[in-house]
Amino acid sequence: MALKNADRLSSVEVIKENFESRNYICNTQIATAVFLAYHLEKPILIEGPPGVGKTELAKTCAELLDLECIRLQCYEGLDESKAIYEWKYGKQLLYTQVLKETLGEILDGATGLQESVVKLHEFGDVFFSEDFLEPRPLLKALHHDEGCVLLIDEVDKSDHEFESLLLEMLSDFQLSIPEIGTVKARPGKKPLVFLTSNNTREISDALKRRCLHLYIPFPDAALERQIVQARVPEITESLRNQLVAFIQELRDMDLKKVPAISETIDWARTLILLHTESLDADLVKQTLNVILKFQEDIETAEADVQNLTNKALKQA
Amino acid sequence: MDSTLVDFVKALRTAEIKVSPAETLDAMECLDLVGIKDRKFLKDSLALVLSKTPEEKEAFSDCFDHFFAFENFKRIGQDGEYTDAEDQGDDADVDSDSDQASGEGSQPGSGDGQGGGSGGDAAEESDISGPLDTSLDPESPLGELLLSGSRTELVVSMAEAGRAAEVNKIVVFTQKGLYTRKIMDGMGLKGLQDEIGALNANEREGAGAIPQNHLAKRLTKARDHLREQVRDYVEKQFFLHADESGKQLREELLKKVKLSNLEKRNFKDVQEIVFKMAKKLVAIHSKRRKTYKRGQLDVRKTLRHNMQYDGMLFDLHWKAHKVDRPKVMCICDVSGSVSNYSRFLLMFLYGLADVIPKVRSFAFSSDLGEVTSLFQNSKVEEAMARTMRDYGNGSTDYGRMFMDFKNHCMDDVDNKTTIIILGDARNNFGDAKAEILREMYDKSKRVIWLNPEPKSSWTVGDAEMGKYRPACHQAEVCNSLTHLERVVSNLLKTAT
Repeated sequence: MALKNADRLSSVEVIKENFESRNYICNTQIATAVFLAYHLEKPILIEGPPGVGKTELAKTCAELLDLECIRLQCYEGLDESKAIYEWKYGKQLLYTQVLKETLGEILDGATGLQESVVKLHEFGDVFFSEDFLEPRPLLKALHHDEGCVLLIDEVDKSDHEFESLLLEMLSDFQLSIPEIGTVKARPGKKPLVFLTSNNTREISDALKRRCLHLYIPFPDAALERQIVQARVPEITESLRNQLVAFIQELRDMDLKKVPAISETIDWARTLILLHTESLDADLVKQTLNVILKFQEDIETAEADVQNLTNKALKQA
Repeated sequence: MDSTLVDFVKALRTAEIKVSPAETLDAMECLDLVGIKDRKFLKDSLALVLSKTPEEKEAFSDCFDHFFAFENFKRIGQDGEYTDAEDQGDDADVDSDSDQASGEGSQPGSGDGQGGGSGGDAAEESDISGPLDTSLDPESPLGELLLSGSRTELVVSMAEAGRAAEVNKIVVFTQKGLYTRKIMDGMGLKGLQDEIGALNANEREGAGAIPQNHLAKRLTKARDHLREQVRDYVEKQFFLHADESGKQLREELLKKVKLSNLEKRNFKDVQEIVFKMAKKLVAIHSKRRKTYKRGQLDVRKTLRHNMQYDGMLFDLHWKAHKVDRPKVMCICDVSGSVSNYSRFLLMFLYGLADVIPKVRSFAFSSDLGEVTSLFQNSKVEEAMARTMRDYGNGSTDYGRMFMDFKNHCMDDVDNKTTIIILGDARNNFGDAKAEILREMYDKSKRVIWLNPEPKSSWTVGDAEMGKYRPACHQAEVCNSLTHLERVVSNLLKTAT
């Protein structure tokens, strides 16, 4: 594969550095996955809890390679007419109506049914050609002149049938359109494909088989500190350490939805807005709704806030 | 290296990681790209290609560490301990290269190690042999290998002998001795034995000088040490290759055993099987979907299909789809007479309730009680224990149960409902109330009766199957997990 700026993916270390310079802090596994995806020309299926930066990885990759990021958001009921292509029915209908007049001219001079049909055949399937084709994300990604990053987001939200539709695209980088034939990616410009899944249902083995499988868990304290540092540089070191320690403690609790990295970052921004210098129990209670999104979670955590804050302060 | 990788994939499969041949090919491609210099990089890369769920990733990590962990052969052949600084470095080398050494004989790392090793050898040997500076060299290849102290080569030679002896086909632990022997033979034990024998013979004749004597002792020691190492190696291979296949064998057996004969120590295994089965069944059958015949019009689809009618909207298509899942009501007898079975039936019910949302579960000895919410909200042990405590072990009264069902649940039965009754139909000569079952039969889609007793005893004594059976769409003997699996699979297949 020879996408432009490919040298930025030449080794795992280079990828890591480049991601870091774009404020995406990643561990070796993630960088390895991107490295392999590029060199083996395979899609990556990214799984993990919400808010750990699955979608962000694809976006950062696109930014790194300076390519367009084409995104297909999956949902229940998504089908080929929205994912791959569709005919421009309106245009087709309009043209047939308009062209009724011209038909006479075309058939001018032809005598007999046989001859007219032969003459008509010379024009081929005008109405089912690329001019009447409305490309959707998948087809767009294949057609792209300089390659692109294709992000198929939340693939677990789509139906089983849709997964099967993806298979051809993922294994061979081609799509079959009955009326036109097979559309292939330009040689050397195959799109770099990312699929993300939140694990709401099991992805089929057929799909998994075709992808590299990357699982992104919640980061450990050190990595999370780095991430907060990169995303919210104005935060003081002591507050950052306290904040991360607190969140890490919170993740060990039995909650309906544990706070993800995106929540940590939001919280960091909130605390800065409030000119906080150090965590204290009252402040935490007031801002708990930034990190916890369910009332019952907030209630569970509130009981423990004092305890957790003390622990976090001690650790930091 | 390729055959090593294939062996590794085999080991992964026994660890219940599903690896397809296509993925093996991917792994080889990946291997070409990544190379074998960096162990962690290789591990990360292979994990991406071969393991596809978080659980598999964990298993993969363990498996990788075990498979590619080669023993650190202790420096053998020397009586004294080895306190060479170089030894440490050497150690680390072997560690990081571990398996790779088996693929490629000559690596810079291992080469270095050898050099350092033999250097140290010479120095120390002269120490030991002291005044006699004519120290003897062993003649047999294995002896030479042992005394030269190159661990890397020993590991390679052992792995090769292991492969020749097909140690990865080991199935039961009693074969350990056999394989140890085979590998030792493969490494050239015979030559070594002969040499030791010859040296000792020399000594007995009195012709042997001190060097021979010394050498014989060292060789014997080295041989014993090697045997230990090989045995260790075989043991590791056993855990890698045989442990899981033994487990599969056990699971297959358990499925066929009568539920009442299962012993307490097998409960945990059975629980695992039951969950696996329930999950499998649901995975197979939950995909059924069909289009609603009402709702929002799918304009695009309709237009497209009607192009052929000159754009007249003729053949209508709708947007909404629905997933068709069976609606199941399950009534489980937990009275004393069937308590051995009901444990498993409840377990299975619990497994199903976990994966099909529309299962309602009931338990009874005489009074019927709904346990659906209990099953949804608590852990399996607790749910079962509470069910047994609340409803279990009384004397059976089917008539009462049917009355309860009629009073509380009959309204919820419609023509999409499947009712499963698990029980032996032994009613203690009470009123059978078969007419209520008949009513259920008429209202529901299907009534299935699963009876743990063999058909011959269905009408013997106080058993009422004779009366109940005509009011069931299906009455089956069900006393092993295989039976259960078959019945439920049929149920889901026809539940559209």
